[in-house]
Order: sequence, then structure tokens, then C-alpha cells
Amino acid sequence: MQYQSSALVDDYLRTRKIPSTACSGCGLGINHKVVIQAISELGLKTKDIIWGTAIGCAGRQTFATWKGDGFAGTHGRVYAIARGLRVALPRDKKIVLTVGDGDAFGIGLLHLIHAARSNAGFTVIVMDNLGYQSTGGQFGFTTPQGAKTDSSPYGMFEHNLMSEGMDVMHILKGAGATFLARHTATDGLAAVESVKKAISNNGFSLVHMPYPCPTNFGSRHLGNRNAVNILRWMQKHTAPLGQEKPDTIWATGVYHDARGSRPELSELVWDSVGKIRRTGKL
Amino acid sequence: MKRFLETGNFAITEGAILGGCRFFCGYPITPATELAEAMSLRLPQVNGVYLQAEDECAAMHLCIGASLGGMKSMTATSGPGFILYADPYGWALGCEAPMVVMNSGRVGPVSGITGAPGQGEFYLTRYPTQGGNFETITLAPNSAQECLKIIVEAFYLSERLRMPITVLGDQLLTDGMEDISVPENDDEMKEMGLRVWPRLYHKGPDFYPASDALDIPPVQMGYDTGALCSDWTPTVEGYDIEEVEEHHKHAYRLIYKVRNNPQLYEDFYEKKYMDDDPDLVVVSYGTPSRVVNTAVERARSEGLKVGALRLINLWPFPDRHFSRKTKYLVVELNWDGQLVREVQRAAPKDAEVKFLGCCGDLPTIPDLMETFTKMLKNQPLERKGWVLEAW
Ligand code: SF4
Repeated sequence: MQYQSSALVDDYLRTRKIPSTACSGCGLGINHKVVIQAISELGLKTKDIIWGTAIGCAGRQTFATWKGDGFAGTHGRVYAIARGLRVALPRDKKIVLTVGDGDAFGIGLLHLIHAARSNAGFTVIVMDNLGYQSTGGQFGFTTPQGAKTDSSPYGMFEHNLMSEGMDVMHILKGAGATFLARHTATDGLAAVESVKKAISNNGFSLVHMPYPCPTNFGSRHLGNRNAVNILRWMQKHTAPLGQEKPDTIWATGVYHDARGSRPELSELVWDSVGKIRRTGKL
Repeated sequence: MKRFLETGNFAITEGAILGGCRFFCGYPITPATELAEAMSLRLPQVNGVYLQAEDECAAMHLCIGASLGGMKSMTATSGPGFILYADPYGWALGCEAPMVVMNSGRVGPVSGITGAPGQGEFYLTRYPTQGGNFETITLAPNSAQECLKIIVEAFYLSERLRMPITVLGDQLLTDGMEDISVPENDDEMKEMGLRVWPRLYHKGPDFYPASDALDIPPVQMGYDTGALCSDWTPTVEGYDIEEVEEHHKHAYRLIYKVRNNPQLYEDFYEKKYMDDDPDLVVVSYGTPSRVVNTAVERARSEGLKVGALRLINLWPFPDRHFSRKTKYLVVELNWDGQLVREVQRAAPKDAEVKFLGCCGDLPTIPDLMETFTKMLKNQPLERKGWVLEAW
């Protein structure tokens, strides 16, 4: 069968890696396309973006898909690498990171918070596959309550970062993020709009993008690995912010938009260095 | 040339700047804090950046990021922070990111004694991360002036071999005040034997050739070369791959670019009274070597045929210094004996290798003299209960 590459693939992605080796029916490709679409609508070229990835399905399946320069960090550390890189790169280069939920909200949360604190100029796209799926399907810190996974055979009962009254978005807002949004893989164009805002922010942006994992999450929690089934299930539990229903898991939309409200990390650093050089003080 | 009465940390800071360092990221820890403080003062004056991270793991990752973006970078810590480098150190080795890592040793295990010198990370600097399949370079100066030279050299080696280089010191070395000369121009740099290698970037597409060659420029982001680097096994172009043969090529480069280019680091040692095949060779590195050198001079003045071998290049371990069958005494700032194990391995099987341990404080000259005399007279080294277990 001949693979029909779209214009987006031709312009931005490496055909050696796209289509990726993700399982058939995986929702990652939907989110990946949302991001590429946003980049394209912003008129950015491959030379404008350095693409970083992390560990797990989201990281590995997006690594080296970008036609431009790309790097992958160890588990949870890419937010620290990206801060150093941000300071070293020219200001006109953008950094986009595609990472998993375990990476961002588990092992890397401390570094993520400090990236938000410093308003480091990069965009984190959290491709949330509802848990640790590349290791076979264990629950993560934004896995829906009650979900049956390989490490929660009786249902996930711990408090987590999306439990009632709790939200990782609140943590990141408090930490100083200047753009935050959440969109599931069923959100389509609304997600593209948010990613565009995120990437255009001269500061720390994060878009949380849960997507269906039919192979592990679907088969354990929903009883089958039917891709359409889990997509429908996700759609049923998704509602726009302010229109939540009792069974809403993911309220989607822009959570926080403070773009331009305070200086970005590398700008602050280089402006300060310049001042110290000129005057000997700040 | 400017002269100062200053600490080892001052010398390290000035050395780093001379070596081209323009990015330092650290996390406060005794006794490396003063180095971070000195960097925070000096770097902005030379258009450099000082950042403080949330922990040591992040600090070295920030250095990785800065290095990927073209800045010569450095971090510094002590043992409890060095262990948190395990994660980024592996990444920097695997992705071949040049940078310099300073470890100012204190007394362990764990937090141990914060304000006293120790040498507990001899092996840790050889194996600073998991997974194996790499070679590392560790350099250990013994004076403030030598700190300056070794840091410049570490930056030089890190560029030519595209890898992190560890400089191992201890609390006395970094905190102690000494006379330091700092060169003020290129001629003075040359005069002092200081070499600098510029940061270059790889133009691709074969970012990871299966080669032990020197001077393959590092993989850099931002030049739109399609550069790739990751924690996975790379293909020649940098794509992640799960294949034994590709992995073998990768590991070959990581190991043999260092092993096959010993001319770059093998001259880093110091020998005293070693020309007449001494009956006893005292082996040490770092600050204890200062006392050892004095003790060996004393021994010579008393007619004892003792020589001193001070290692500066600790890793790759310089086996060739230990080919002669004689007596070796290894003096270290730890009680468990680390360097002594390597000396035992490298020395002829029937050579006598003994250990004199000390921790938190330097060995005394009377202690050293007593041990020299006993070894030369073939007397057993005394067991001093918990103080000294004869090795
Ligand atoms: S395990 Fe799940 S998330 Fe990972 S590639 Fe397969 S379907 Fe996608």
C-alpha cells in the first residue's frame, strides 16, 4: 500500500519516521497533527523550531519526526535541558517539546514547575496517553479515577493531579506559567487554536492533550482495543470549560492566558547580563 | 600575568573563563558553593550566564542544554550532588555533549562531614552513570594554580573528544588560599601551556560516525542541520534504533575515542625521586600528594629510597606507571581504599601494594615516615583498631 503523505508531512516531517511505529488506532497521531497544523498556520518553518521529546510512547514516537533539529532527553529532564538550550539559542528560535503525562506530571514535575517559574520560552505539549503505556499500561498521575490498569487492577483509587478539586493546571498557574490549555484528541480545531497561542507565547506554555491509547488503556479499562470505542469514550467525557457535566473528566479550553505579562527567562538573563556588563550592577 | 592570594575556587573560576566557559549552572552545596558564588559574580562580566537550578540533576541538564545550544558550560558540586549527576552524565556521554564537571570531594558516605576533605568518588568518576559502554576522563589537580590549568585543559579535552570531563578535587583544594597567577593575554596563556579549542558544530548528516577519530564537532541545535541527539542508541544520522550492530558502533566510538587517543591526557602526572628505581613508590592524587611529596623528600634526606608518583589523570587509569615490580604504598583520603585497588590490578602480581587511609584530614608526615620505614624493612603495618586496617 502506498502511503499518501499530506502537505503537512512533506513540509515538516521526516518520511523515515512518519508514519510512526505507534500501534494502529493510537490517538497520538491526531495530536501530533494538531501541533503541526498549528505550526503551519503560524507560518513557521522547520528552521524556526527545535523539537525536543522525552521518554514513553509520546516521546519516542515523536522523536526525529521533525524535519529540523531535534533532541530527546532522559525521563523527566527535558524541561531542564530546554531551559539551558533556551538561554543559549538565538531568541528567534522556538522550542517545542512533546512529552508524556508520566514525564511531565510524574518524574519531571519538579523541573516542569521550575520551567514555569522562570517563564522559560518554550511550549510543552503533554501528549497524555492516560498512564504509562510503553511499559505495558500502568496508571499515571492524570489517569482518570477508578481506571483499571495493570498496576491498578481494582481501579485507580489514589488522589492524583486530576482528582476532584485538584488540577495540575492550578499548580502550573501558581508556578508562573504564562499560557495553559487542555484539549483532548477529539477537540480538533479548538486544540489547533490553543497550540498556536501556546507557541506564539514568548514564555512558558503548556497544552495538556489527552489522547486515546487503545492498546493498553482501552483493553484494560474499556474491555477492548477498539480505536473508535475509546475515542467515543473520550469524547463522552470531554466538555468545554464552563459546560462540564457530572461525567466530565476533561474540561477543555484555555485555562490561563497571561502571555506577555512578565519577561521570558532568556530575555531576562541576557538583559541582566548586558546591564551588569555596562554598569557593573543591575 | 596577574597574581592573587586566593582560593582554589577562584582559580577554577578564572580557569573556566579562560577555557571559554560562558554558562555555569549549579546548586548550593558545601564545599562547592563558593565556586558557584564566584561564577555568579564573574560570568556576567565576561558575557556569561550563571543560573541556579532546583537540584544537581537539573543543574547538569541545564548545562547540557546550553552546550547543545553552543555555549561552553560547567557545573560543580560535591559527592552528594555528584550522585545526582548520574542521569545527565549518561546523557552527556551518550550524546557527546562537551562540558566540564567539577567535584569537590568531602567526607562520605551520604552527607558525611560537609567541611572536611575526602576522596570517596574515585570510582564514581569512572562510572558516573549506568549502562557502561563508555570511557570517562577524570583529572585531579593538587594546588590552586594547577586547578586553573586543569580546568582550562578539561574544557580543551571536552571539545576535542566531545564529552563531559570530570575534575576531581577536595574541600582543602577548593577552599584553601594560595598564590595564583592568572594570564592576561594569549601569549601568557601559551607561556603557561594553556590550550583552548573553539566550539564548532557538526554539519551532518553523519553525526555519529563509527570512528575513534578526534575532532568530530559536537552535535548542535539551531543551525538547521537536521541534527538529532537522544538518549537512545543512535544510527549514524542520529535516529533512535534498537539494533545490536548500531549499538556496537556507538559504543565503539564512546570507548575508543578516549582509549585510542591517550596522547591527549597521559602526560598528566608528576614523578618525584622516581629515576633510580625506588624501593618504595608512594602513590597519591589531589591534596594528600602535597604531604606525600614532603614526606618523600624527608625520607630521601634520611637515605630511604622512596619515590612519589602523583596521578593527575586518574581515568583512564594509567596502568603503565605500575609495570615495575617494587613496593607501592597508596595514600588516600578514605578508609575503604579505592585507588589502591586499581594499583593492585595494574601492578605485577607479586608486587607489594599497601594502603594508608585517612579521611577528613591529611595524613601526617610522621605517620607516612613510619609506614615507609616499616614497608622498607618488611615489617607488617600495624593494625590500629578502627583507625587503620592494614590493607
Ligand atoms: S501503547 Fe497506547 S499510547 Fe502507546 S503507541 Fe500503543 S496505542 Fe499509542
